[in-house]
Amino acid sequence: MRALCWEGVGKLAVRDVPEPRIRADGDVVVRVRASSVCGSDLHLINGYLPAMREGDVLGHEFMGEVVETGPGVRRLRVGDRVVVGSVVACGGCWYCRTEQYSLCDNSNPQPVFTEKLWGHSPAGILGYSHAAGGYAGSHAEYIRVPFGDVGAFRVPDGVSDDAAVFASDAMPTGWMAADFCGLKGGEVVAVWGAGGVGQMAARSAQILGAGRVIVIDRLPERLATAAARLGVETIDYARTDVLEALREMTAGRGPDACIEAVGMESHDVGPSYAYDRVKQAARLQTDRLVSVRQAIMACRKGGTVSIVGVYAGLVDKFPLGAAMNKALVLRMGQMHAQRYIPMLLERLAGGEIDPGYLATHPLPLEDGVRGYELFEKKRDGCLRTVLHPSA
Amino acid sequence: MIGRATRWTLLGAGVVAVTGVGRAVARRRRRHQPERQDGWYVVHRGVTVDRPRDGVIDFWTDRERLDRALAGWATLEQLDGGRWRCEAAERTGGGRRWRAEITVESPGVLRWRVTDGPVAQEGRVELVDAPQGRGTEIRAELRYRLGPVRRAFGLAAGDEPDLALRDTLRRVKALVECGEVVDTRRDPSGRSPRQERATDKVREKLATGGRA
Repeated sequence: MRALCWEGVGKLAVRDVPEPRIRADGDVVVRVRASSVCGSDLHLINGYLPAMREGDVLGHEFMGEVVETGPGVRRLRVGDRVVVGSVVACGGCWYCRTEQYSLCDNSNPQPVFTEKLWGHSPAGILGYSHAAGGYAGSHAEYIRVPFGDVGAFRVPDGVSDDAAVFASDAMPTGWMAADFCGLKGGEVVAVWGAGGVGQMAARSAQILGAGRVIVIDRLPERLATAAARLGVETIDYARTDVLEALREMTAGRGPDACIEAVGMESHDVGPSYAYDRVKQAARLQTDRLVSVRQAIMACRKGGTVSIVGVYAGLVDKFPLGAAMNKALVLRMGQMHAQRYIPMLLERLAGGEIDPGYLATHPLPLEDGVRGYELFEKKRDGCLRTVLHPSA
Repeated sequence: MIGRATRWTLLGAGVVAVTGVGRAVARRRRRHQPERQDGWYVVHRGVTVDRPRDGVIDFWTDRERLDRALAGWATLEQLDGGRWRCEAAERTGGGRRWRAEITVESPGVLRWRVTDGPVAQEGRVELVDAPQGRGTEIRAELRYRLGPVRRAFGLAAGDEPDLALRDTLRRVKALVECGEVVDTRRDPSGRSPRQERATDKVREKLATGGRA
């Protein structure tokens, strides 16, 4: 079969690779119909999460059709159109049983790297490097999904492939970001990042009762899309001082909740950002913390900062003093896909959330390299490239 | 031209720095060494399984499930009521096998002793209720005899009883909780056979040991 493989830092290629097989009772094999690029793939491609091996198949946000099931699979049938959570969860450990699926104890068969780096190993993630278990990813014609009964969910009729694919990762991540904020109704929520996750977080915050949602980015087309599709207010950080603007928009209070949906390669302007970039490029720090820093500084006293952008390791200039003295609540984590997906599919089918517009560039798998280039360089108004390996 | 006094000062500073760093490294190393008793290394490891104690015991007494779980890895033969003989392949391959005798002392307590294997070892496993209804703590004490040089080589090669114990505990936890030990070797990739072999070595390193 054909698959999009990582070939070294900054290098991708579509190659012939062997087809996956059922390996355990709970496995299912899915023929991939739609597989989205994700901002967090860029950290892998660019070598900031240093656990990729040449030939690894990328991709973790996808949907498709079940073509084979292991003997232990009960809930799924061959032919089911399913969306699969990118986080692998066994369904049987304490974390899974308490719906903290991204912390699953048993789904990362290669836990030593993350145990050394983070103290414990969280769940494995499909197509997300050897730190996350070394699973082959979804930018391929077929993918093996372990614990299929736990991680794959039937897509309701009437929901398109290009909308359903985002129920795999961007929607649950955005929803969890808003869920972390503990909204009671009427709050001001600021969201850093107008990519797929940021826009889904903004929409989720609206559904969960936010009074105002303000989205921050530097790309005019993304901000315009967010404003038009979701009716949110926007700030272009390349033109405006974000902290000043947020203070003014909230009459001095600051947002009640700040969602960070950017991650370790966040951008900014000015000398401090240049310093961060140099440090990261020289691998003296793993992450650039620009947007988290802003979120903490902007957040109102006693407010919540919710971090769903991906961070890998060590940072400097983390404003712990601001977080401590303003008594902020910091919440963060990889999303618990399996907890949110069924509920999100219902909302998708009901039309309450419609992420289909994120798929600005549907492309065949063979164009995968160009798809990532469009996405990374933000060319041609690309919000998300969605690959269609079965097309 | 550096004067004699400066040279001596630099040398002194160098000696102090090297000694200080050396002592810090040695102290850190000592902290990571297993305890030694009468020539035996003694380590304690534990893992929490999200099942009540009876559930964990049931798993080991359900012969069919156990055989399926151990398939391709180890075989168990019952000698009498409380004694078993276990034969297993060396985890890192290489065709070496070891035999152990397992004695069930009471429900929830068992001992094992390697009767034929590359390293002399024995141990004890106890099942304890975990607090807050978190299931069962499997607590293991492992004693093994190994020279420091062989141990260092073993650690470097990922072939050491403590690493094997931690692997085994993690494996047991996975088998009890979800019925399988996930394996991503042979997942599709664009690697050549040579690259795949090199990647398997990396996988082995990332899978070996860990916190039990």
